[in-house]
Amino acid sequence: MSDNKFQFTGNTYSDVETARPSLTYWQDAWRRLKKNKLSMAGLIVIFLILLFGIVGPMFSPYSYSEQINKYKNLPPSLSLYKLGDIYLYSSNDYNLFLVEGNGRVIDKIELDRSRRDIPNKIYTYVLNGEDIKLNFSYKMLPAAQRLDYDFTLEYRGEIATQPDRTRPNILFPFGTDDLGRDLLTRVMYGARISLLVAFIATVVNLFIGVIYGSISGYEGGRVDDIMMRIVDIINSVPLTLYVILLMVWFRGGGLINIIIALSSVFWVNEARLVRGQVLSLKEQEFVLAARIIGVPKMKIILRHLIPNAIGPIIVSMAMMIPSAIFTESFLSFIGLGVSAPQSSWGTLANNALSGLTTYPYQLFFPAMAIALTLLAFNFIGDGLRDALDPRLRK
Amino acid sequence: MKKYLISRVFSMLVTIILITALTFAMMHSIPGGPFTREKAIPDEILRQLNAKYNLDDPLIIQYLDYMKRLIRFDLGPSFSKVGVSVNDIIVAGMPASARIGLLASIVIIVLGIPLGIISALKQNKPIDYLVMFMATLGITIPSFVVATLIIYFFAGKLGWLPSYGLATPLGYVGPVIALSGFSLSFVSRLTRSSMLEVMRQDYIRTARANGIRELSVIGWHAMKNALIPVVTYLGPMIAAILTGSFVVERIFAIPGIGRYFVDSVSNRDYTTIMGVTVFYAVFYMIMVLLVDIAYVLIDPRIKFGSEN
Repeated sequence: MSDNKFQFTGNTYSDVETARPSLTYWQDAWRRLKKNKLSMAGLIVIFLILLFGIVGPMFSPYSYSEQINKYKNLPPSLSLYKLGDIYLYSSNDYNLFLVEGNGRVIDKIELDRSRRDIPNKIYTYVLNGEDIKLNFSYKMLPAAQRLDYDFTLEYRGEIATQPDRTRPNILFPFGTDDLGRDLLTRVMYGARISLLVAFIATVVNLFIGVIYGSISGYEGGRVDDIMMRIVDIINSVPLTLYVILLMVWFRGGGLINIIIALSSVFWVNEARLVRGQVLSLKEQEFVLAARIIGVPKMKIILRHLIPNAIGPIIVSMAMMIPSAIFTESFLSFIGLGVSAPQSSWGTLANNALSGLTTYPYQLFFPAMAIALTLLAFNFIGDGLRDALDPRLRK
Repeated sequence: MKKYLISRVFSMLVTIILITALTFAMMHSIPGGPFTREKAIPDEILRQLNAKYNLDDPLIIQYLDYMKRLIRFDLGPSFSKVGVSVNDIIVAGMPASARIGLLASIVIIVLGIPLGIISALKQNKPIDYLVMFMATLGITIPSFVVATLIIYFFAGKLGWLPSYGLATPLGYVGPVIALSGFSLSFVSRLTRSSMLEVMRQDYIRTARANGIRELSVIGWHAMKNALIPVVTYLGPMIAAILTGSFVVERIFAIPGIGRYFVDSVSNRDYTTIMGVTVFYAVFYMIMVLLVDIAYVLIDPRIKFGSEN
């Protein structure tokens, strides 16, 4: 038979099954997490804060402990008074600064201490041999005078009562604290401390809690009873009290001490959670099968039980990080935190407390940082719960 | 019931013994005694002081002494305040702490539950979003930030509230808001989610089909079950109020136990730290026991002793 009796019809018909690519557990979870807008926003915020804390201080011209004495308590935005061709800024405690028109502080103007007229509330400052008079007698009786200013500046016969413009502080975008340290650098550095403490404490808690809980759950019986009794006893007192006691005992707020104190109690919640998971998992057939072929206990726990409980574990970890940040800032706030000159967000907030009414920005930035971070982690945690553990979905 | 109570009280006693032993050992392992000063005290005086406070006994005897006194509710003298006992400090701080703590608890329950219910009934409506937004903020913003913001805006800028003390009724507003913020948010979130779950159940549909008024379906049939998870939160709520009082009392300068405790921490007044810790622990355990009993009474599905 010759070849030309057959014709090639072309490959026009195909019987391809429609199949989706198979997804692993993690791919599937990631796909679900990506759909959650709040969680993704949280992830981005955390990424930015990490960047802010890790990379930020490298670009800062100041170190976290550098004190520039003449620039104390400078706010992040400066109300500038224009007198002739110079711009002046007067701080709340009547320190006078020479500022460029764009908000870059040039120098502090020295007060002439010999010519301080305290009874009349007039200070005289000397700039290049010429006097600047600051009259703050108005502040004492604003109601009586019905003026909308409480001090005046006089330079070369010209008097300024109202600020000419308000400009952001270019040298110190977040302002400076009461010792003349740059707050932006301190907040960035505080991010390092706060996040470092939180991450390490969380990992340690997770490690102890998972091991403890899985042994307790897997062994069952008497061992379980005793182990859970211990957890109950620890848990019968607010956990923060232990942390406070431990910090008192350590007698000092080293970074390591805080991490140890935080790591030594909060694992009990994790242990309970993992125990619950293990209790329900260990009755399943695959564990029975593993036992029958003689897999050792530890290997069953590590290879079979913990990986199957990884969803709730990760969710609880995402929730533990913010609570660790919270506890650390709480400790710092009551004076048990990292020791000076190191700063965490909590110590920054604590330091700001005494000058709150005059320098509120000193509290604002660390407080915002704490709130933003906690909010972001909470959103991530919610999203992870929905993504990793669909049964818990609300 | 009796058996359950006995076992609970027994385990409470074990816990108290362990906690006192732990705090005792911790406080005594710190080098330097309570009389260590920058200027050294003459040996003879130091010896007499140690003898007066029985500090020259072996540690175990000292602990037993402490326990003996503890049984009579005597927490011993404060080491940094001369002539003041820890009992005095607790008695002096109790009224203020109790008042703001109680008010905060009332605010949490009276506001939190209705807010949660409203937001569950109006699910995905603006009011639900508003309540949940506020609740998320309340959970994430630490109480010390809330407290300082209240002082700054309402006491400083606007002058509506006093910035410290409890001399006037208005003085309570700030501390109570700061103290209740977290738990209030938590309770309203919890109530909302448990209410949503209950409303989906068959017996609610049955009740409605029977023509029962909507108000009594929600206010009685649904509430009864929806509030059970909220009751379980009461224990942690007490813990949150106790620890929250440390910062709130400090910021608002309220003479309560929490503030004395923080002061004693910074003064390293070990007997006061220990005494107040023990006091807090016992108080907390009694409250949790009461909550657990209430829980069993409310929910007939749970029997005494069957829970973890």
